[in-house]
Amino acid sequence: MNILVCIKQVPDDSVEVTMGADGKPAVEGITPVVNAFDTYALEMATRLKETLDDGSEITALCIGPDSAKNSLKNCLAVGADYAYLVNNESVDETDAMGIAHILKGAVEKLVAEKGKFDLIFTGKEATDVALGHTGIYLAYKLGAAVITDAMDLEVKGDRVTVKHETEEGHRVIEAPLPVVLTVTKPAYDPRYPTIKNKMAARRKPIDELKLGDLVAMDQLTAKIRTVSEYEPPRRAAGVKIKEESEEESAVKAIQMMVDAKVL
Amino acid sequence: MRKEDTTSNVLVYVELADGAPVKAGLEALTPAHMLTEKNGGDVIAAVLGKGISDAAGLVAAAGADRVITVDSEELAEYDLDAYADILRQIIEKEKPDVVLLGGTGDGKDLAPKLAAIFDAAAAADVTDIKVDGEDAVFVTTEYSGAIYSDVLIEEARPGIATTRSGAFKKPECESRGSVEAADLKVSDGVVKTKVIDTVKEITEAVNLEDAEIIVSGGRGMGSKENFGLVEELAKILGGEVGATRPAIEDGWITKNHQIGQSGKVVAPKLYIAAGVSGAVQHLSGITGSDYIVAINKDEDAPIFSVANVGIVGDAMKVLPVMIEEIRKIREG
Ligand SMILES: Cc1cc2nc3c(=O)[nH]c(=O)nc-3n(C[C@H](O)[C@H](O)[C@H](O)COP(=O)(O)OP(=O)(O)OC[C@H]3O[C@@H](n4cnc5c(N)ncnc54)[C@H](O)[C@@H]3O)c2cc1C
Repeated sequence: MNILVCIKQVPDDSVEVTMGADGKPAVEGITPVVNAFDTYALEMATRLKETLDDGSEITALCIGPDSAKNSLKNCLAVGADYAYLVNNESVDETDAMGIAHILKGAVEKLVAEKGKFDLIFTGKEATDVALGHTGIYLAYKLGAAVITDAMDLEVKGDRVTVKHETEEGHRVIEAPLPVVLTVTKPAYDPRYPTIKNKMAARRKPIDELKLGDLVAMDQLTAKIRTVSEYEPPRRAAGVKIKEESEEESAVKAIQMMVDAKVL
Repeated sequence: MRKEDTTSNVLVYVELADGAPVKAGLEALTPAHMLTEKNGGDVIAAVLGKGISDAAGLVAAAGADRVITVDSEELAEYDLDAYADILRQIIEKEKPDVVLLGGTGDGKDLAPKLAAIFDAAAAADVTDIKVDGEDAVFVTTEYSGAIYSDVLIEEARPGIATTRSGAFKKPECESRGSVEAADLKVSDGVVKTKVIDTVKEITEAVNLEDAEIIVSGGRGMGSKENFGLVEELAKILGGEVGATRPAIEDGWITKNHQIGQSGKVVAPKLYIAAGVSGAVQHLSGITGSDYIVAINKDEDAPIFSVANVGIVGDAMKVLPVMIEEIRKIREG
């Protein structure tokens, strides 16, 4: 099978973002990483490749700055066979629809080289903006089926059966290939690269696709615009209790809660 | 569609579950009214399914000016493509300026699907709406809730948004809207997927959004057995049980108890967190709480930075004492 995994580079989601002096979120100092949900998607794709064991290949595709090559190297170390970057540093502002336009252009370009993709994976959302739109937009533009919030999947012949997460459990959804999948957190964690795979990934090329070859620039005009960004009101820290024993601390805390009339 | 082609009506998709409107769907009627009160127009609710007249009546009584129902066999089971196609037809006829959907799993899929169909744009997980002239400015969050972002959909119509569950209260309503049935069919060729099974893993209902007291446990509780202390404290306080993602992944409690970025956003009067470190993804779900009590053995745990009272210590020793003390108070 020919598998594509679309990844986005985002600031490390374990770091709390604050506003910068320029009125924008101060993300420059935060380590860029592969979006958590995209790492789940890549892991799911890699497990599928290993299960099929039929020479299936995974291509990772990222739209991002030059520094995203590092993220793509990490993908090559944990399952991706090929990696492509579309450098978008020349684009000032676009939105998820614009990104989907670029992805569509990139998919068409890659199909011309590698043949059709059977499965296209994206994360269910990116941890920076948490929209969850790109996969659905891309599927629509490609005229492919989309199954969201995938927790597990099985491929049989030219069909895929997906366990799609819902609030109350899951649905089992089936579709003929090609399918775009958006991946939620599965029951497992993504693997860490071995030193050997890391070394091998370092030697693999990251190919670049030129933005201008993929889309007309007017397709990138944002339809949704951010008018202002700001920090929510902060809570002040209260008191910390650390008595001789846990018992004393607990009793003291209860007294404070009684005094504050929350009990 | 462009802005000049639309009416000032607002369409709300009210999702049904087990034949009744879901809370998130009814909540979306509130921001719809905020818009029509300013700009005129009707709040139109769309209700889809099979055998839905009772549900439609409930939606009409809950604050929709008009309810459009599409009641048919082919909508008996939810399917993203089918439901989006029906909503497309309703939108093409009614030409609403804004389309709102409750931010449920299905709502979050339908919103971008509709945006794709109309080559429009969608805002996600909206927590508030500011009406600026004729425009709706949607308040959304980014970076796991650490930053708020006000967004505006300028020309492309309809402007689509999902509302964050719990962010708006259901409307208080005296009037009763009309119900009209629309005879719409799913277009040929649009449905590409097939739902072959729907599995309910969770049967108990948890209402974290409306809870006045929540006791949450995190990975620091160590085991399912110890997590029982969290449940016991919640029980004697008459509160609900919350959890962090790791506690759920370890199988100590079901995922409908998850609080935070990919769980519920809560605002109780009292929030007690035991063995919870206070990751951004968790904090963004609890900072609306009136009073936070944290129990953590690590003095530097980030949870203490938002806690009114922080107990530095072993939760396994603190919780039994708290349970005992509160029992004494309750028994007078
Ligand atoms: C995309 C994404 C979405 C996420 N969404 C959510 C979400 O919705 N909700 C959520 O909660 N998390 C979410 N997370 C996970 C989040 O980043 C944290 O990993 C998680 O909140 C940590 O849970 P925890 O506090 O239970 O565990 P840990 O961070 O491991 O903390 C355990 C704490 O317990 C303390 N402890 C240990 N033993 C004891 C003891 N005996 N007594 C007292 N204290 C003890 C430790 O000091 C530590 O502070 C998300 C992550 C990602 C990437």
